[in-house]
Amino acid sequence: MNTTAILSAVAVLGGLGVLFGLVLTFADKAFAVPVDERYARVREVVAGANCGACGYAGCDAYAAAVVTGEASITACTPGGQKTFDALAEIMGENAVAVAPEVAKLLCQGEDGVVKSRYDYQGTPSCHEATQLAGGPTACAWGCVGYGDCVKACQFDAMKIENGIVFIDENKCTACQLCVPECPRSLIKMLPRAAKVTVRCLNAANAKDAMAACSKACIACKRCEKACEYDAIHVIGNCAVIDPEKCTLCGECVKVCPTKCITQQA
Amino acid sequence: MSRLSFKGGIHPLKEIHEGKEATKAKPIRALVPEEVCIPVDMHLGAPSIPCVKKGDLVKMGQVIAEPAGPRGIPVHASVSGEVTAVVPKQQLHGKPSTCICIRNDKQDTWVERHQLGSVETAPADKIVTAIRNAGICGMGGACFPTHAKMALPEGKTVDTIILNGSECETFITADHRLMLEQPERVVDGLRASMRAMGVLKGVIAIEENKLDAYEAIKKAAAGREGVSVALLKTKYPQGGEKQLIQAVTGREVPSGGLPMDAHVVVLNVATAAAITDAVTEGKPLIDRVTTVTGIVNEPSNLLVRIGTPVSEVTAACGGTTEEPGKMFFGGSMTGLALPDDTVSVTKANNCLVVVNKKDAVLQETSACIRCSRCIAACPIMLNPQRLNVLCEAGDLAQAKKENMMDCILCHSCHYVCPARIKFPFKEAKEKIAARRI
Repeated sequence: MNTTAILSAVAVLGGLGVLFGLVLTFADKAFAVPVDERYARVREVVAGANCGACGYAGCDAYAAAVVTGEASITACTPGGQKTFDALAEIMGENAVAVAPEVAKLLCQGEDGVVKSRYDYQGTPSCHEATQLAGGPTACAWGCVGYGDCVKACQFDAMKIENGIVFIDENKCTACQLCVPECPRSLIKMLPRAAKVTVRCLNAANAKDAMAACSKACIACKRCEKACEYDAIHVIGNCAVIDPEKCTLCGECVKVCPTKCITQQA
Repeated sequence: MSRLSFKGGIHPLKEIHEGKEATKAKPIRALVPEEVCIPVDMHLGAPSIPCVKKGDLVKMGQVIAEPAGPRGIPVHASVSGEVTAVVPKQQLHGKPSTCICIRNDKQDTWVERHQLGSVETAPADKIVTAIRNAGICGMGGACFPTHAKMALPEGKTVDTIILNGSECETFITADHRLMLEQPERVVDGLRASMRAMGVLKGVIAIEENKLDAYEAIKKAAAGREGVSVALLKTKYPQGGEKQLIQAVTGREVPSGGLPMDAHVVVLNVATAAAITDAVTEGKPLIDRVTTVTGIVNEPSNLLVRIGTPVSEVTAACGGTTEEPGKMFFGGSMTGLALPDDTVSVTKANNCLVVVNKKDAVLQETSACIRCSRCIAACPIMLNPQRLNVLCEAGDLAQAKKENMMDCILCHSCHYVCPARIKFPFKEAKEKIAARRI
């Protein structure tokens, strides 16, 4: 066996490896591009989902914008309060407390609850469906359930259940990407603490609203009378809650005849 | 005989002669409705403003809604009688439209009319105003106000007017019968438009599946100044404005441009016939020829008053042979399905197709197999399979870069797709326009 050949091959390749290693080490030091040392730390604390909720092309772009002071430190909603605090510390700014929000669907028009006007067979998209003769649901304000918002959600927090959108609030990061997708503007960002919600936007009069959907707000104003805190008002044939005044007492939920006001645990 | 055409396109329903066999030999007959409900937003642009109220007695041809803005057109009563309601009613598009409902007293009492005289002698500068006052809009389907089309912006010139008699869509024979039975009205309308716009060349373009109409028009056009007749290949979307211009003149409308950028104005043959009525009789646009076909007992070409509910239209054709599964206005390629049969016939509706429950079921969509048939079919050389991927991924900015906005929504790609993909291009175009991407 020719041991010399093996040894010389190992020596040559090993030597080359060491030589290139030295060259690269030198180049790394000599040609280093100065980077704001905060950039790496900022990049570390943002959510890292590349969702675009902040309005920048991705987490890298947002981190760069934060370091230059161009972007707000509270724009990364998926990161939540933890990210805001960490960014405030890195950037040497005052920490801001932002009430965490969540996306809510203001409709309970499931299959069987809302009546159907016709059988829609076109492109499976809410945008398209609502363009055709006012949409397939009898309620012109309700969820049509083709999931344009579901397609936009990057966090797997939305799905279609019984013909309407179900939002998993544990997964929702309040990135708001779904909000502009809804052709009927049914998705609203509400504070997480606001557990009592009027889940209806129907602005028709009581007769038409009841004819379309059994869970529609009929503007009977019983909730208004039941509320001791002046927090709920019927505006334009539909009840609206002011989350700042609401104490979550649940009186309106009890009196609502159509159960369009819901209270979460 | 040379047959003009364009690149791309398809031949839909070739095996059943585009579905036109049932009605192509049926003469136009008039339908007298019991009640009409006339929407005030039939045309493109701002809805007209109703100027009658419940209980008013109106005469036939009386203005019942005033135009809103310089591009708007008035709406006329299509029957004489009493206004029974001015209410919002759901029509084909979006939110409910304001409709003026009139009960027909069947007297057909006309309002006073002002005619301009023969199309060759009428004062040319008054023709466009007469067209506007007659409430004429594009009767091929888009319903764009015709007077607005004729009013050219500064710096634009037009040297040719093309009358679109190609009727490439499936099932429709309304224009075919109109050209065959009343060719003089069509040719007169072209002459009136040519004189109004000061254009010296007019072409009437007809597909070769309507040779009898071609002969009739040719006879009527003989000896008329500047008018010629062109025979086109039977192909879809031959009647698309841009495809028609390419086929007839060889010019291409630039991306994002209008026909006037290719120095052409395209009018439908039915619009031309309405222009003749407006000029020679002072008659506003209150009726139109509509083909009714499918599972009705007597497929017909009806002269329908604008605003007639679909239920009366189907009843006039002897009802349906079995329970309908779907009804749509227009042909099977670009037609729009109706939510119910209370919808009114508007100035744009050239055809009503009723299909049974079995045919109304759509095939399941499966995954794209990259066969590229859609690319070959696209009349504007887009890449539908690529655009579909971009739309699905939500990358509308890139879709716009790849010329999404040039799509004419002819659905040729969907027709040839073996996977039956429902290309979401209408939605994509609307979103790009609305969000200014």
